[in-house]
Amino acid sequence: MKPSRVPLYTTLAVLAFLYLPIVVMTVQSFNAARYGGEWKGFTFSWYAKLFEDRSIWSATRNTLVVAISCTAVSTIIGSLAAWVLHRYRTRLQRLHYLVTYAPLVVPDILMGISLLLFYVNLKILLGLGTVILAHVTFCISYVAFVVLGRLQDFDYSLVEAAQDLGAGWGRIVFRVLLPVLGPGILAGAMLAFTLSVDDFVITFFVAGPGSSTLPVHIYSMIKHGSTTVINALSVLFMTVTFAVVVISQFFSRNRPVH
Amino acid sequence: MKPLTRFWLSATTLVMAGFLAACGGDKKSLHLFTWAEYIDPDLVTAFEEANHCRLVIDTFDSNESMLAKLQAGATGYDVVVPSSYMAAIMWDEGLIQEIDHAKVPNLKNVDPAYLKTLAFDKDMKYSVPYMLSNTGIAYSVSKLGDVDPSWAIFDRTDLKNRMTLLNDVREALGAALKFKGYSLNTTNQAEIDEAVEVLKGWKENLAKFDSESYKPGIGSGEFFAVQGYSGDLLQVMDENEDIGYYIPKEGTSIACDDLVILKNAPEPDLAYAFIDFLTDAENAAQNTEFVYFLAPNAEAYKLLSEEVRSNTAVFPPSDVLEKSEVIKDLGEQNQLYSKAWDRVKSGN
Repeated sequence: MKPSRVPLYTTLAVLAFLYLPIVVMTVQSFNAARYGGEWKGFTFSWYAKLFEDRSIWSATRNTLVVAISCTAVSTIIGSLAAWVLHRYRTRLQRLHYLVTYAPLVVPDILMGISLLLFYVNLKILLGLGTVILAHVTFCISYVAFVVLGRLQDFDYSLVEAAQDLGAGWGRIVFRVLLPVLGPGILAGAMLAFTLSVDDFVITFFVAGPGSSTLPVHIYSMIKHGSTTVINALSVLFMTVTFAVVVISQFFSRNRPVH
Repeated sequence: MKPLTRFWLSATTLVMAGFLAACGGDKKSLHLFTWAEYIDPDLVTAFEEANHCRLVIDTFDSNESMLAKLQAGATGYDVVVPSSYMAAIMWDEGLIQEIDHAKVPNLKNVDPAYLKTLAFDKDMKYSVPYMLSNTGIAYSVSKLGDVDPSWAIFDRTDLKNRMTLLNDVREALGAALKFKGYSLNTTNQAEIDEAVEVLKGWKENLAKFDSESYKPGIGSGEFFAVQGYSGDLLQVMDENEDIGYYIPKEGTSIACDDLVILKNAPEPDLAYAFIDFLTDAENAAQNTEFVYFLAPNAEAYKLLSEEVRSNTAVFPPSDVLEKSEVIKDLGEQNQLYSKAWDRVKSGN
């Protein structure tokens, strides 16, 4: 029997669905026309404009500082939360589960306003710090649930075996837990990073003067801005992301698998 | 274990950097809360140099979210740029200060005709007008040739399915009200009914009511005439020579964004200096040439280039301006318009 062609076509369709928009955006970033549709010639002028635009760069810097800090903090706290949730089944942990779960279902606008009210009441000055704190708040939950998923398949006897062989907790964490849970933690961290870079609603409310992030800036461009500059910026972002992925794959291939 | 330690070290450093970046240097800073790309960057630099300060710009995407944020107690901003109707709300809410005219000598430059006819805050008690924009009609010159600048264009059956009106009740019905010679802020049911009938007639000739795709639509030649916002249409015209623009002689809707100073502004003196800087004739002219909206500054008008002065989208003829209005928030009476809109859309 001839193998079915359906999987091949499905794969192609999915790939097209995922990557065509990116291709279109890349092409548009070199299009001299400000409005999509017609091709008016090749240009680098949007890239030139991008490099002159001070506000976009400060927003980009803010976005990266927030995303990296938030990822670092929420990955640690989220992974610890997942471990505790997995390991202990007391009533306190049931409450803990609920508290961790809540930010996933609370609407962004509610969270943004309530965090802002919270900061204002405690007289905390709004700035990048408050944005990072807010992002950590919702990223913890995502990290925790991704790591928790990985823990479902985790065999606790591995830890017991290590203990039998005389390993202390430090060694167990670095030699057993981290290697096994690593992919889950990494996935959680990447999710946290993406969510942080993406977030508009919460950020808008908790950002102080001088700490606008890229999404806040882009949304505001709806009124007067030219999105072509944003196309150019996105292409640069994408290039960096792809480069990081390719490089990391290159390195991981040279290393023995655990 | 070394690389991990290094990772945590760098992570902590970054977090610390994040918190530190929140605090500024020792220079004074003026914080402006506005729309993106709404000021000439060269003016920002010039203001910073003249006043030995930093001008930090943050942006919002709608008047409503800006208000929600400030009402919740967000502080640290000095000057905000809301639309006129929102400036009025902020004044009623006690969020903004009264403008001390003695501190802004350049206020004498502000166009008295604008203040007299269109402005809500006619004495600039709490706001100073920043930029005016308008709603008009963009059309294909090669297809239509010389057109009579009127809303009546939407009666032309030969352009059937080649025209769009904005998908916004106050703009679309406002056009019909203006066409009939009524105020676009009317709360008179009979006038609204008449306008509904006009609009239903126009609807037969429209491709659709549309607030987004009319830009590429007119740019690519799919549509021959569209109602739209001057700022958007100017960008399209920038790239397509064949597109003309007019403001209907019956009058249209004008939008204005104002400069206001928050009550709890940390640097009120810099805020005044900034408003004075922007209302300076030369600066206002330079800003108009950059953002392509009109700074209502009578002294600046004389300095504008011929290109801008002859462009009706930026610089509307004064007789049309006199017949135009700013859309007001009608409060509870807004439902008159939403009901009328339902009738237009459903065709009953």
